[in-house]
Amino acid sequence: MATRTFAGGIHPPEYKEQTNSLPVEQIDLPQQVIIPLHQHTGAPCTPKVNVGESVTVGQVIGDSDAFISAPVHSSVAGHVVAIEPLPYFNNTRVLSVVIEVEGDQVWVPDQDPLDYRDINVEDIRQAVRQAGVVGLGGAAFPTHVKLTPPKNKPIDSVIINGCECEPYLTCDHRIMLERPQDVVLGANIARKAVGASKVYIGIETNKPDAIRVMQEVAGEEQDMEVVPLEVKYPEGAEKQLIKAVLDRRVPPGKLPSEVGALVQNVGTAVAIAEAVTLGKPLFERVLTVTGPCIAQPKNLKIRIGTPVSHVLEQCGGFSQTPRKVIMGGPMTGWAQSSLDVPVVKGTSGIVALPESMVSEAKWHNCVRCGKCVKACPMFLLPNFIGMYAEAHNYDKAEKFDVLDCFECGACAYVCPSRRPLVQFFRNAKAEIMARRRRA
Amino acid sequence: MEKPDLLYSPPPHLNSGDTVTRAMRDVLLALVPIIIVSIIFYRLNAIFILIVCNVTAACTAWGMRKLMGKPHSLEDLSAFVTGTLLALALPPTFPWWLAVIGTFLAVGVAKEMCGGLGWNLFNPAVFGRVALIILAPAFVWLNADMAPLHLRFGIIDVTSGATPLALLKLGQGQLLPSYSALFIAHPGGSMAESSVLAVLIGGLYLLFKGHINWRTPVFAIGTVFALTMLLGSNPFYHVLAGGLVFGSFFMATDWVTTPITDAGKIIFGIGMGILVALIRLYQAAPEGVAFSILLMNPLVPLIDALTRPRKFGQIVEARIPVIRIKTVSK
Ligand code: SF4
Ligand code: SF4
Repeated sequence: MATRTFAGGIHPPEYKEQTNSLPVEQIDLPQQVIIPLHQHTGAPCTPKVNVGESVTVGQVIGDSDAFISAPVHSSVAGHVVAIEPLPYFNNTRVLSVVIEVEGDQVWVPDQDPLDYRDINVEDIRQAVRQAGVVGLGGAAFPTHVKLTPPKNKPIDSVIINGCECEPYLTCDHRIMLERPQDVVLGANIARKAVGASKVYIGIETNKPDAIRVMQEVAGEEQDMEVVPLEVKYPEGAEKQLIKAVLDRRVPPGKLPSEVGALVQNVGTAVAIAEAVTLGKPLFERVLTVTGPCIAQPKNLKIRIGTPVSHVLEQCGGFSQTPRKVIMGGPMTGWAQSSLDVPVVKGTSGIVALPESMVSEAKWHNCVRCGKCVKACPMFLLPNFIGMYAEAHNYDKAEKFDVLDCFECGACAYVCPSRRPLVQFFRNAKAEIMARRRRA
Repeated sequence: MEKPDLLYSPPPHLNSGDTVTRAMRDVLLALVPIIIVSIIFYRLNAIFILIVCNVTAACTAWGMRKLMGKPHSLEDLSAFVTGTLLALALPPTFPWWLAVIGTFLAVGVAKEMCGGLGWNLFNPAVFGRVALIILAPAFVWLNADMAPLHLRFGIIDVTSGATPLALLKLGQGQLLPSYSALFIAHPGGSMAESSVLAVLIGGLYLLFKGHINWRTPVFAIGTVFALTMLLGSNPFYHVLAGGLVFGSFFMATDWVTTPITDAGKIIFGIGMGILVALIRLYQAAPEGVAFSILLMNPLVPLIDALTRPRKFGQIVEARIPVIRIKTVSK
């Protein structure tokens, strides 16, 4: 199979065999869900319900007037017991609506499935926004914004991201196997919304079954092509994917629209399809619960707001004591110190790692081995940025383009000195942005 | 559910398993073939020098860090790499007190006093070797005093006279060993010069392990070959005799003291090759590998700046690197 790819990157072990053949399951609902009102990039939502009020599945509980924002819906029926700042997966606190689960929990569409070809572009974007769809690959950028490209930047190609290049995660793989029609439907809707002509579905070659299934379904469509991609991290990163599929380079600091491309994750494509044809809000998502410490690893469809502890219980608890529980993939996800945080729209997985896989080794000076330079898919010099950031020399870090780093972690993965490069870069970026705001 | 004790740390949560210790261990492993050849040729003399340098390196690293109030870092094995490299760069009958001084300068001055592994500008082993050559006149009195303490283990069946490169220089080509002898095994000069083959086996192992980059040795050796040929000397002897192959694979590839980018490594290799050829052909010294590396080391920051990669998607701006340097340092 001819495979395309980008330059740089790394080949971490895939660790996908635990779950890649397990169909997506549903689990029992928890007694309470915790729904943060800011699960996306952009403006936070303000609550649209009060404590004591009852809510239904899919009811809007938070919204914002800002364009770059996405409404938040209740994932269950029940009543609101609290609205307060609660721990969020990224180590902060976010205003969240706590709902006691009670009554009938099925969601029924109040419309017959629509044909997207009959819906005009503006209504498509509205439907996507109202459904609160955000990028499900992890970044959680509001999807309707991406479907509204700048007028002067025509988009010709939609890329559906089925790379799933993070180790351990298999939810996108399962979505492609189990719901290929919906992926294609979402792709078609996105194509219509941005006025593109071509659709490409990029899939790493470690998922030959998904490539086959998607090829079958996509083959029936006009101008839709499955592109097998080399298994390499971070193949699924937006700019790297566009380079691999279209051989176009998004300039530094620019968006994919600059080169006429739009990238949507496969899960997001399904969410777009459901939002536009059924009016279904994004109140549940598919994620992978896995790692050596999980008794029964699973791919699950989970209601947003389900506490991690409940999810883990439903997977049989821990088979061995974990040292790290990660929300998201192991390359970019967040380690949790408490299991009370809820699953949110951007949670693609829960990975539990044992002591033996967690490096607590002390880090050292940079020994200039150059491995990070070879790994960086943005062609930066992570060694220098790291040294400057470590020394709090943020001006230098900025001159060495720390702001072009998208924190894929490839550099830190290969570093023999185990330098916490991503942490250095985050500190530097935060400080640089803070200075800009002050200036 | 049980509440496990969970660690919070930044991503990524996986790593390649590479460590500095492992890389250094691989370098030591890569030196085993040439150590074996040295021992075959020079018996206890080789072992003795290796022990002297390694013990001195370890004591110096430990002692200097103790003095500076830092935790010792012997487990990263870098002191032993320096000790072994320096020992191999010495002739087998080298006076042990000078080996001690050289190792002390290498590990104590070139490495630890510069901030420890990672901060050193000069390759420690090369620094030690060159310091011994330059300071040789200063040690004459010492040698006289210490001479009775000189240790020799058995007779070494090598004419301790002229090395192949010296013969070449003196125009005594008829005395030169054959190419194949030089390539496979030929005593004379420093221990590491005794077998190109053994050095290459180690170098290929490091390449295979991904610890070194082929560009530096290939361009260094290639440059010496081309330039000596162009200038009318015998390029095969310049490559096969002397410390060129050893220096190119084991010293010019040192992580800390050579450029970080591929392009930079090529520049370093070419620059070093030019210096080696010029020193060998136009200077009194028959050998010039250590000097050349030492002269290239301080240029590394400049080479790094000149070869800074263009970041992803950057097209128009700064096609000529020099212009970029201005924008960088402004
Ligand atoms: S985290 Fe940033 S610097 Fe490191 S490899 Fe990724 S993009 Fe490059
Ligand atoms: S990988 Fe680590 S040790 Fe190597 S150059 Fe990069 S930061 Fe330095």
